[in-house]
Amino acid sequence: MTTLPTDPSTEAPLALAGALDEPVRRPKKRRPLGTASWYATALFICAVMVVPLLWMIAIGLKSRTAVFEVPPKLLPHEFHWGNFIKGPQAIHFPRLLLNSTIITALSVLGGVMTAMMAGYALARLRFPGRKMWFYLFVGSMLLPGVVGLIPLFQLYKSIGWYDTWLPLIVPAFFGGNPLFIFLARQYFLAIPYSIDEAAKIDGAGHFRIFTSVMLPLTKPAWITMAILAFQASWNDFLNPLVYLYSSDKWPLSVGMASFISPFAGQTPDWSYYMATNLLYMLPPLILFFAAQRYFIQGLGSLGSTTQK
Amino acid sequence: MNRSRVGMSRSAGSDTRAAYLFILPPIIGFSVFVAYPLVRSFYLALTKYNGLTDPVFVGLDNFRRLFTVDPAFWPSLKATGYLVVLYVPLSLGLGLALAMFCNQRFAGVRIVRTLAYLPVVLPAIATITLWKFILNPQVGLANTILAKLHLPTSSWLQSPSMSMPSIVIVMLWGVGGTMIIFLAALQAVPTELYEAAKVDGAGPYSVFFRITLPMISPIMLLQVILQTTAALQTFNQPKILTGGGPGFSTNVLMLSIYNNGFSNLGRIPQLGYASAQVWVLFILIIAVIALTAKFSSLWTYSDNTPD
Repeated sequence: MTTLPTDPSTEAPLALAGALDEPVRRPKKRRPLGTASWYATALFICAVMVVPLLWMIAIGLKSRTAVFEVPPKLLPHEFHWGNFIKGPQAIHFPRLLLNSTIITALSVLGGVMTAMMAGYALARLRFPGRKMWFYLFVGSMLLPGVVGLIPLFQLYKSIGWYDTWLPLIVPAFFGGNPLFIFLARQYFLAIPYSIDEAAKIDGAGHFRIFTSVMLPLTKPAWITMAILAFQASWNDFLNPLVYLYSSDKWPLSVGMASFISPFAGQTPDWSYYMATNLLYMLPPLILFFAAQRYFIQGLGSLGSTTQK
Repeated sequence: MNRSRVGMSRSAGSDTRAAYLFILPPIIGFSVFVAYPLVRSFYLALTKYNGLTDPVFVGLDNFRRLFTVDPAFWPSLKATGYLVVLYVPLSLGLGLALAMFCNQRFAGVRIVRTLAYLPVVLPAIATITLWKFILNPQVGLANTILAKLHLPTSSWLQSPSMSMPSIVIVMLWGVGGTMIIFLAALQAVPTELYEAAKVDGAGPYSVFFRITLPMISPIMLLQVILQTTAALQTFNQPKILTGGGPGFSTNVLMLSIYNNGFSNLGRIPQLGYASAQVWVLFILIIAVIALTAKFSSLWTYSDNTPD
């Protein structure tokens, strides 16, 4: 048996952080599975996760007709790199990408900014109604989004927001994701109060304490939130589907879904689709590998709602 | 507003003002995007409403129609229940198994974890649309592999009996999300407990049922609630993969709500009727949360000793 690794103390503020990127913290002496069967199972798991993606790339490189060969071949005979140009062109990918980028960037900004401000006030300022608002915000987490769908649709329609991006962006600037408020508050609670006291003695007001003292200290929290907000907005399908009618305003999610259910009589173009889908996956993939730690923190923090 | 209250320092008053400035956006958001729609949607559920003319109050008529007239309602409730019953136990079971598998010390275990988590990172629509091709009966990857291994193939999404299991398979590809939460829960179990069990000569089964499972039961409880409520609201998969078919086999409640309220298939939107369905779904969700929480004391372990 090799020497056991020491438990690395992480700076992770949220109790469940680090599950993915840290080495196994609790060394197990017992190995319920033998080495051979462990690796066989591991190989199977990896195959289930990776083979569909490799197949996607393989189809993306095939010619439009080779896709329908019977029996199907797993690998392409010749590589049609042009699919990566023509596929995206077929659904106006650059336009959809731009739409998705604008919608996502603004809802990330709005969601993180309002949650950080609210979390700061709820955690560090004493004011009447503090508990009540906290419970109302957190309680609304349990409310399924579908309850608001129809009244909000009518509301947006009556004020001329139908077929605009506003219903996808504006709610984020009004604390649209109560989970973020909860996370921000938890994070602010962990910062020592002596820091505010010192800043106050120096004559700083609340806004200045928030922007120049608190925001730098809470960087992990808002990066985590930004990633969660990015994922939520980049993946959102139901809302843009309901609120956007014109295809030139669609984000990628709706555009990609329409790719495979084209108008009657046409068969979807598989190789074009697969090539384009790879491009659609790239931004979140790059973000994941660049900021893996924060991704896991975000998920861990979802679990930490049970902790006090 | 309470600035002038006797005994309150100047800074307490400015605290209040600053605090309300800081939480003003979510207060407005809560009123406009949460409270108002909640009340309004309950009212709409009691009306006949096409979205163009004013809603007409009809009392409980929408619910009467749902439960006694609509031929699609009970099948949609059944499809929703089938999805939950199939998906939630499998997701929790596989997620926990995968977490325990990845909580062992083997070289390369981090690669397995990362790859198992990978599908969760990808955009939902990208993976769902990809799986629609994978499950294509003629040239899809699933049948290609099964045929190569001389195993029976399936028509997957096109078969009334396999359509819902196929949707659940697609959803389970994202089981890495459940895994990562259980993994964190497993890593929070104090090592001393395992050491003590070892000293007492406990076997792997009693370690699992007497230590691991009780220690992670609070997380398990949360996962049961979160996953059940999320599964009750499943929309993307049936919308993209099957459109509710074949027949009504995958026409879950959310899809039915969408079709009644928003689908532009030349029909008049029935927003009142769809709101009634929303409230059926909402009450189901509340019931699940209430029941799970009520009976949680039977199977969750809570540590009452103060730290």
